[in-house]
Amino acid sequence: MDFLLGGFVTAIQLLLTGDSETYSAVFATVRVSGYSMAASLALGVPGGFFLGHFDFRGKRQVRLVVDTLLALPTVLIGLLVYAFLSQRGPLGEWGLLFTLPGIAIGQTFLALPVVVALTATAVEAMDRHLRTTLITLGVSRTQLLLSILWEGRLGILAAAATAYGRVTTEVGVSMMVGGNIKWLTRTMTTAIALETNKGQFAMGVALGLVLMAIAFVVNFSVFFLRRR
Amino acid sequence: MKPPLYTIRSLVHAYDGGPPVLAIERLSVAAGSILGLVGPNGSGKSTLLKLLAFVEKPTRGEIRFKDRPAAPFSDAVRFQVTLLTQEPYLMRRSVHANVAYGLKLRGRSRDCRPQVAAALSLVGLAAERFADRKWYQLSGGEAQRVSLAARLALQPEALLLDEPTASVDAASAELIKAAVIRARDQWGTTLVIASHDRQWLYEICDDSLHLFRGRILESGADNLLFGPWQPGPSGFWHKPLAGGGVLRVPPPPDDQAVGVLDTRAVSLTAPGAASPQGLNTLDGVVSRLVLEKNTRRIVATISVGLLALTVKLDPERLQALHLYPGKAVRIHFAPQAVAWCDPA
Repeated sequence: MDFLLGGFVTAIQLLLTGDSETYSAVFATVRVSGYSMAASLALGVPGGFFLGHFDFRGKRQVRLVVDTLLALPTVLIGLLVYAFLSQRGPLGEWGLLFTLPGIAIGQTFLALPVVVALTATAVEAMDRHLRTTLITLGVSRTQLLLSILWEGRLGILAAAATAYGRVTTEVGVSMMVGGNIKWLTRTMTTAIALETNKGQFAMGVALGLVLMAIAFVVNFSVFFLRRR
Repeated sequence: MKPPLYTIRSLVHAYDGGPPVLAIERLSVAAGSILGLVGPNGSGKSTLLKLLAFVEKPTRGEIRFKDRPAAPFSDAVRFQVTLLTQEPYLMRRSVHANVAYGLKLRGRSRDCRPQVAAALSLVGLAAERFADRKWYQLSGGEAQRVSLAARLALQPEALLLDEPTASVDAASAELIKAAVIRARDQWGTTLVIASHDRQWLYEICDDSLHLFRGRILESGADNLLFGPWQPGPSGFWHKPLAGGGVLRVPPPPDDQAVGVLDTRAVSLTAPGAASPQGLNTLDGVVSRLVLEKNTRRIVATISVGLLALTVKLDPERLQALHLYPGKAVRIHFAPQAVAWCDPA
């Protein structure tokens, strides 16, 4: 067990001394997860609202598909996105393979069902009198949408936190689409996987600690916002 | 006579392609009037209020507001009409933010504290105690009053209330009554109020509308007689009443049909008085006396076992009979006075 303890001590040193390789992976993760979260929230929140608020033909089938996509394996997303972005793929000329935006595209597909499904659940769970109340107070159609989202903000925050947890901890997409290129597309999770394979636990533990810290900050923020 | 604020023509409404829950051929609501809606659960009162509030679009027919066609979200009605639902919803904000929300939508949010305080005071809530409370820090009755304050702050042209006193105590019901009358007297607001509390309603309404199975019953049709009916002698059908007595009615369309008895067809006498041949004669007890605001007549509710019948009397007749709650009386009405509702 000494090697684990030693790894932990070295990890603290790496973090405190600002080790550039460690922090490169941290920044890559933060950037790529920022892109993917921005895209998945921009698409997923309106999509979830539509799915949760409106009744339309085929709604239950759409809901079933979205719920199924919650369990989409990251390696399958990685495979499909790789196929699309590779030179032989339909989007090959975009040159996004082995780049952070390429990883972000894959992670968006990972986070999108989470955001859509949990936003739809939050909207569905809201009091059925909310819509009537808002209309009778004089909202326009746009204000109705925004006010319902605002009322369901805690559920949407939970959706965002869950999706963020999923994208920051995934390995499959980052490894397959990003290629785990040092200083460029190496994220925290791919770095941990690589370092563990090499028997170098220190950087893996350091990055694990950063992941836990990010998870704590995200959940603390949600907790704080819930209390307000 | 003031022009109508609402005009309804050939209105039919159904939910999700189901059977119609409301069918009104013609109805006008005069501007500045207070109209009461009465009827049992499921009679279409809440649906009518939602349609009048332009929350929903009728399946067929037209609702005109100030003689112009109007639809949900249209500028013609968005800021003029408001509805307080039976189970009001408070947004996840402070009391102040809830009351100010409608003002904000109308661009009147700048320095709206005095307006919010005035609206809260109308429903008996002190702004300094309640304005900063969160939505979850209110009792059911307080939430109801905050919701009403949010509507009163808007000084609407039409205020629609669905069971406004259902979850409040007697003192709050009186406050709501005062606030409603003030809205009409001060701002000329037209009110349409659905309530099971007939006493509360009769005290404030200029007119009342009786709904049953989505249709408007004729004026005076206050008494609903529910089956089951059994065939009896002389071509009449009857129903034994709890505590004695038998109701005799003309042949119903089916044994579960609902009969309507006009209050004008019912007469009261002292207990033991002889009954003319062929009339229904029932012995009951006066359970409530209410003054009808508009006609100055007395609405007497007579309990006959589990059946409650309403009779309208002139004050002179009331005095002659020395009626008071608890007094025994005899009711007479002709079986032929019972009309049958259309089957559901």
